[in-house]
Amino acid sequence: MFLENIKEAFASIIANKMRALLTMLGIIIGISSVIIITTIGGSIQSTLTATMNSLGGNTVSAYVQARYPESDEDWETWVYPDMTDEDYVSQEMIDGLIAAYPDEITGVAAQNYLGSGQIVDPKDSDNYANVSISGITPEYLDYMKLDIHAGRSLTVADNAGKKRVCVIADIMADRYFNGHDPIGEQISVTTSDGSIFDFVVVGVYEYNQALFGKVDPTIPEKDRSTEMMVPIQTSMKMQGSDQTGYEYFDLLLAPLADVDQATGHIMEYFGEIYANNENFEIYAYNMQSDLGMINTVLNVVTIAVSGIAAISLIVGGVGVMNIMLVSITERTREIGVRMALGAKRRTIRMQFVIEAIVLCLIGGIIGILIGVGIGALLGMAAEFVIQNMYAEYSNYIIMKVHPSGQAIILSLFFSMLTGVFFGYYPANKASKMEVIDALRYE
Amino acid sequence: MSESVIRMEHIIKTYYEGKPNELEILHGIDLSVNKGEFVSIVGESGSGKSTLMNIIGVLDRQTSGNYFLEEQDVNEMSDEVRSNIRNRRIGFVFQNFNLLPRANALKNVMVPLMYGEEKVRNAKERAMEMLAMVDMADRANHRPNELSGGQKQRVAIARAMINDPAIILADEPTGALDSKTGHMVMDLFHRLHEEQGKTVVLITHSQELAAETQRIVTILDGEIVGDKGGGR
Repeated sequence: MFLENIKEAFASIIANKMRALLTMLGIIIGISSVIIITTIGGSIQSTLTATMNSLGGNTVSAYVQARYPESDEDWETWVYPDMTDEDYVSQEMIDGLIAAYPDEITGVAAQNYLGSGQIVDPKDSDNYANVSISGITPEYLDYMKLDIHAGRSLTVADNAGKKRVCVIADIMADRYFNGHDPIGEQISVTTSDGSIFDFVVVGVYEYNQALFGKVDPTIPEKDRSTEMMVPIQTSMKMQGSDQTGYEYFDLLLAPLADVDQATGHIMEYFGEIYANNENFEIYAYNMQSDLGMINTVLNVVTIAVSGIAAISLIVGGVGVMNIMLVSITERTREIGVRMALGAKRRTIRMQFVIEAIVLCLIGGIIGILIGVGIGALLGMAAEFVIQNMYAEYSNYIIMKVHPSGQAIILSLFFSMLTGVFFGYYPANKASKMEVIDALRYE
Repeated sequence: MSESVIRMEHIIKTYYEGKPNELEILHGIDLSVNKGEFVSIVGESGSGKSTLMNIIGVLDRQTSGNYFLEEQDVNEMSDEVRSNIRNRRIGFVFQNFNLLPRANALKNVMVPLMYGEEKVRNAKERAMEMLAMVDMADRANHRPNELSGGQKQRVAIARAMINDPAIILADEPTGALDSKTGHMVMDLFHRLHEEQGKTVVLITHSQELAAETQRIVTILDGEIVGDKGGGR
């Protein structure tokens, strides 16, 4: 019976295709706009999350921050305090942190920029390479997702021993060493202030345009500057300062660690250590809180559009009600015949409610298909733009375009609800007809 | 005495009851139809025969009096039970066929099964049997608009017969047909009556058609004015 009703509903809709389509238009527009917006919103959210996670979203950033005065009067006389080595975060403190939360925190990525320099081949003065020198912690290369091509990465021992070792870019190594193995070679770097430092090459990393910027083709290849990585303690010693701690650093988290919880632990840990420091404290934050804000904005947009879609569903529903009333008037005789042949009032009511539901569901499904289609097209367009206009980032942006399953199910549910709500009145009217009046209706 | 299928006692039907334009159509009809009878109810238009038919067919309720269908007081029944009675015990044949336009002949014949209380097994086979009985098996997949008037009426008769009703109630069944196909349809009623022992009640204004039946009940101005044996 139920199945028969659905078949009947389809037959009756097919008999009036154009009318049915126009009736469904409001529902189609409402549902498809919800699907498009939720697809865009959801895709932006998951693309951002995936991309940020792959680019170190799973880290907590922290820095040393001055304790600012609490009252306005104090501000007037306040000067930014000088930092001494006690104020920086030492490797020992971080080792202690890792020991305290071994399941959460796995390492530290810090960088100390030393400046630019030039390496000149002592046997051939025409063969030179420009570098910018950074001191890094051993975890840094991993954290930056830089792959070691040949040799090895920097180690804890390199750092602790303030060794004169370095890791250079593959594009620089290929050109400067002209094919022969650079590992174990000694290079002399002349820094911008004229000092000369000797380093032993221990590793070669794969140069990454997304990280260091696109290669500028107007600069001749041999003049291009690449990053040269040395142990961070070595770099601080080279600067001649007595600083051994870090001011800005990123803490690396275990893959499954809760970022917010870890941030709390880090603040707590440093809070205790810096409790007696009058001038400085440690501030830690993570990108997931930024993501949270973006998500909030996207959610507000989604809700607003859903509200508009709800209005269009109501308008569509009124259209359905109108067409059902017309259909029932047209089919008065048919209703009379069905009643004469034994259809009960509730059977007639159910038939027309089901017809309204089917009408709305077809509208909903068409809307979903259009929404999913347009969403997929927008995704392809975004991918195309990234591939062609931001090619250097394309390996780092993890596009995740997918329609929201939740929105699809909700859409189906709401279009069904529209059918029930706006179909009930006409259907009930049909069921209230007197069989002899309906049979004689001309 | 044979079993009565229809027993009416002083049936009165009044329209617009209690209003200034109150109109009494039937003025106390006493009528009894036995099982297996082929009765015609004849009257001019406006005589009240359609009103009487509506009451016999459980489509309408009398204002007063008693109507027993197969010894059951149908006036006392709820709408729902009356739907069931129409579905199971009465086979309607209308002047204008009243087939569902979007359904083919087979589906049309199956409609009463769809509205039955119990799910019917072999519904399709049964409907095909009915179509075969009226010589319409080869047109099972045709829609009403692909059938002639006589063919439509045969499908309607197959539909009326599918639940094996107590009576076949035919309202001017040949009214929309030419005389040749009209005769074919009448022959079909005779066959159902003679071969299957069906009780047939034929409502008509045509004395000629009525003359073919066993018993002619003449109605005039809401009263039975004649009840006599017919030509057969």
